Amino acid sequence: MNITAKRKTVQGIQLCADPAREACFHVAQNDNEMQVFEDNMSEAARRERLHRHMNNEMGALEIAAQCLADFPDAPWDLRMQLARQASDESRHVAGLYRRLRQLGGRKGEFPIGNFEWAVTNMCDTLAARLAIQNRTFEAGQMDLLGALRKIWRSVGDEATAEVLEHILADEVNHVRFANRWIRTMVQEDRRLLLKVAGAIRFLAETNAALSAGLGGAPSDTPKKHAELGINVEDRRHADFSDDEINEILRQAGMSTLVGAEGRP
Amino acid sequence: MGLILREKAEHLGTFRWLGVFLMETLARWVPTTPEMEVKVLMGRHIWDAAQHADALGKRTFELRAPLHYTLAPLSPYVEFLKDIASVDDTSGRVQAVYDVLLPALSARYQEYLKGSDSLLDEPSFRVLHGILNDYARMRQESDALREELKGTLAFDLGRAEEWRRKEAEFGEVVPRGSGATLAAGAHA
Repeated sequence: MNITAKRKTVQGIQLCADPAREACFHVAQNDNEMQVFEDNMSEAARRERLHRHMNNEMGALEIAAQCLADFPDAPWDLRMQLARQASDESRHVAGLYRRLRQLGGRKGEFPIGNFEWAVTNMCDTLAARLAIQNRTFEAGQMDLLGALRKIWRSVGDEATAEVLEHILADEVNHVRFANRWIRTMVQEDRRLLLKVAGAIRFLAETNAALSAGLGGAPSDTPKKHAELGINVEDRRHADFSDDEINEILRQAGMSTLVGAEGRP
Repeated sequence: MGLILREKAEHLGTFRWLGVFLMETLARWVPTTPEMEVKVLMGRHIWDAAQHADALGKRTFELRAPLHYTLAPLSPYVEFLKDIASVDDTSGRVQAVYDVLLPALSARYQEYLKGSDSLLDEPSFRVLHGILNDYARMRQESDALREELKGTLAFDLGRAEEWRRKEAEFGEVVPRGSGATLAAGAHA
């Protein structure tokens, strides 16, 4: 049985069952199971950030790999991009794990969540998976990294900031190839637009339903965007149009950043 | 007598199929293998396998075959590969790729080089030498991983030996055409 055919139910919502994890990890199903710290840059909080990020990168690796396994007839050039992404995400996991250990941390020290895997693999088309994982989650990651590298630098941790700089550069490429391929695929088959729109709606509904529960969904949301800001420069690098960036700014409650001529 | 041009394209098209098979097998295993370090190793090697398939597919075009000409090996060999790709424990997966497949494919690529001409077919030599170097690196990285996970993973040496023995029993695995055209069933 294909792993993406397995299901789990979280707060009444059907999602893709978790990918394999070692026994040392506690897999959380809600945000309220994740560990939070009053001082969000204490030593333990820093390790938790790295640990959480490491698992998110592991999820991104798994999603890219699963796309290769599930869509053997996708255009070869797109498969090459997914293979490269799998390799990049692997390096991100290794780089974050190395840094985590340097700071005294270990695998399984904190709970982890697999929300991105669980939502993305509910989609049955490659275009929809790219729209959810690369164009939404990874683009949100670009926004977070744009702010986080500065936060790590502000507390004097240049080594972690440098890891994040390299990850950010790679993520821009992942978002860009997804944006380009989604456009190409939709131009070739307009029906895919419905699939992509349906996937985005499913993500929004899942986020809303889980947020209405005890803990909320561990994903990037407009609220988090509002807190950390939109990485406009890298979204441009990743081939988002000005209109698309303006819409994201509006959703994050930053309409005032949209220029008079519509250029953010 | 060495290989003729059409046979070279058939060999490289088959090697491309093997590269794609390796890429897809590793990709399928990444989410279903628990150990993080093993996921990382396989994830990095997905990209290696993809680049090998890409280079071979471009070379087939230069040999008057379609771009990314891909030819499945003879069916008993495909069945053998599917069999070892169905292994579901981590140690078996590591052994299947790094102790069985990569050495076996290296031997088959070396055999091709023996049957070709390093001057007239130099671009193929460059592609295959690149792959052979990468395979050696990939196996070294696998050895380093095993050292890191010593005590976590237990390896069944007899199983790997049995797979190697079975693989070695296959002689030629490349389908051959019967005339000037490429083998039936070929597609880009």
